[in-house]
Amino acid sequence: MKAASNADRLVSQVLTGEVWPPLADRHGYRVGPDGQPFVLPGMGGVTLGVHCGDQAAGYASDHLEPGASVRNADPAANMAVQFLTCVSNAVRVDSGPAAGAIGHVIGQHAYVLVDFTEAEAAQLTAGDAVTIIAVGQGLRLLEHQSIVVKNCSPGLLEAMPGGTMPDGRLEVHVAARIPAEAIGAGVGMISEYANTDLMGAYAGLGDDLSLGLESLRIGDIVAMADQDHRYGRGYRAGYLTIGVISTGQCMLFGHGPGPSSLLSGPADAFSLVDDPDANLASWFHRAGQDQR
Amino acid sequence: MSAQLSAVAVNLLGLVEHPELGDSPYRIDADGKPYVPVGDGGLVLGLALGDSVFAVDADHAAPGVCLTHRDEAARHALVLYSCIGNQAEVRTGAAAGARGAVIGKRGENGRVIVGFRPADLARMRPGDQVSVRSRGQGHRPAWLPAGISVMNLDPELPAKLPISQVEDHAVGASVRTVLPARLAGNGLGRPAAGWDLDLQLGAGDGHDLRLGDLVAIDDIDARFNMGFRGGWVSVGIVVHGSSPLPGHGPGMTPILTGPRSQVVARPDRDGHAGLTAGLLQLW
Repeated sequence: MKAASNADRLVSQVLTGEVWPPLADRHGYRVGPDGQPFVLPGMGGVTLGVHCGDQAAGYASDHLEPGASVRNADPAANMAVQFLTCVSNAVRVDSGPAAGAIGHVIGQHAYVLVDFTEAEAAQLTAGDAVTIIAVGQGLRLLEHQSIVVKNCSPGLLEAMPGGTMPDGRLEVHVAARIPAEAIGAGVGMISEYANTDLMGAYAGLGDDLSLGLESLRIGDIVAMADQDHRYGRGYRAGYLTIGVISTGQCMLFGHGPGPSSLLSGPADAFSLVDDPDANLASWFHRAGQDQR
Repeated sequence: MSAQLSAVAVNLLGLVEHPELGDSPYRIDADGKPYVPVGDGGLVLGLALGDSVFAVDADHAAPGVCLTHRDEAARHALVLYSCIGNQAEVRTGAAAGARGAVIGKRGENGRVIVGFRPADLARMRPGDQVSVRSRGQGHRPAWLPAGISVMNLDPELPAKLPISQVEDHAVGASVRTVLPARLAGNGLGRPAAGWDLDLQLGAGDGHDLRLGDLVAIDDIDARFNMGFRGGWVSVGIVVHGSSPLPGHGPGMTPILTGPRSQVVARPDRDGHAGLTAGLLQLW
């Protein structure tokens, strides 16, 4: 049974932003796990060739952000964009050759990350205006009071398989399970901003760096063990956080593919089903589809 | 190679920080409860090296003053170059001439924590200028076996801390406790030269750390950015107290990192003595 929610009490708010350029400094290099200097693209702008369902790691990239990376130029308005936008919210392009294209939010990463079809993304560039129909903050599960919903639109909740079980637990399908040791940069930050980088997915580097996460895909729904993300992100034994992989490959040490937080609560409030199809690509991000 | 290079001292200027808050006084703790953060930076009285990290109901409180600089780039340099054990001297205000010592560093925008004698601290105020005689980054003790890295320590300090060579290839360190990597919090993915690593510990978790303790954390490599590496260990000095924020907690400034076969952390729950006021001549 689909989990009952207060979705009918939520309002949508119309937000604006623009595709934001990648940012660098004049020193260029950053430092990898073994001290190797690198200059690698991936964060900001429009990153092509990687979409929901594709491998998250294995690219010559750092902090790979699939699709368009969006901010608002006004600092306070930008925080509203970052906090209020939820995963699977629809985003419309309003200027440039891709005007009219509809994409979908896959997460936050100090940018709002929007996946478009490859053909649409190819026509986008920094400065293009977008409109976000933001809905989802305030979403509650009426029969799962111990679980807090984060950054999850009603449309995503509706699309995800699972729901309320006869024993009262919430069934959630996940593509991967993440050990607490993998949690890297992003721990200690608020749950409505950026995401949690996962260590242990440095494709091509040493075995001592691996936590077996190299096969994660963009858009995967994952379960993070011993993570309490109800009011910020931190370790708490016996808790569980469901997230969606919204960023990919990192070379910067202590960083990696990152889930945006969706649901968090005591582990015994959840029933997990391992399901390789638990990925945003199964439900969204087909051209022109209109999702709440 | 680098063992032959001698460390250079650079005098840095820091200003005693004034606490800063936003329009709302509240932060949200791990249980979702709002609280007003007290003691997060600035000049904190009533806390000393040796006190429990859970001794006061505060947020990231450090024993002494936090130094910053108004210019962002100068602030980064102040934090990156300052090392634990460096001498500091108050240049302005009622405590001018008082001498203290760096006891740690904090991340985010960057803060250098300097300890003073209680009587000197009581005469200081935010905005006072403090000069730090920074020295230590790039220094590698001649006796340090290859494969082990030290950072954030005044060159004179290793000999005074419970750290010593135990075999040709290995270093031993007395620590209060050894923690698992899953308790590493805020600071992961950030440069060990300028950030501390928060330890996700609460008062009831059975690890009564004290300010100034050495503490080890398994499977963390802190040579550059801090992150997970199986089989490694990092040792740090506890420089500030606990925090109600999720993902935060008592913070350690990293000082030593290497493979576990070369860095031998010896937990001593009851007898451990790390960085103390006596060692820094702050009595």
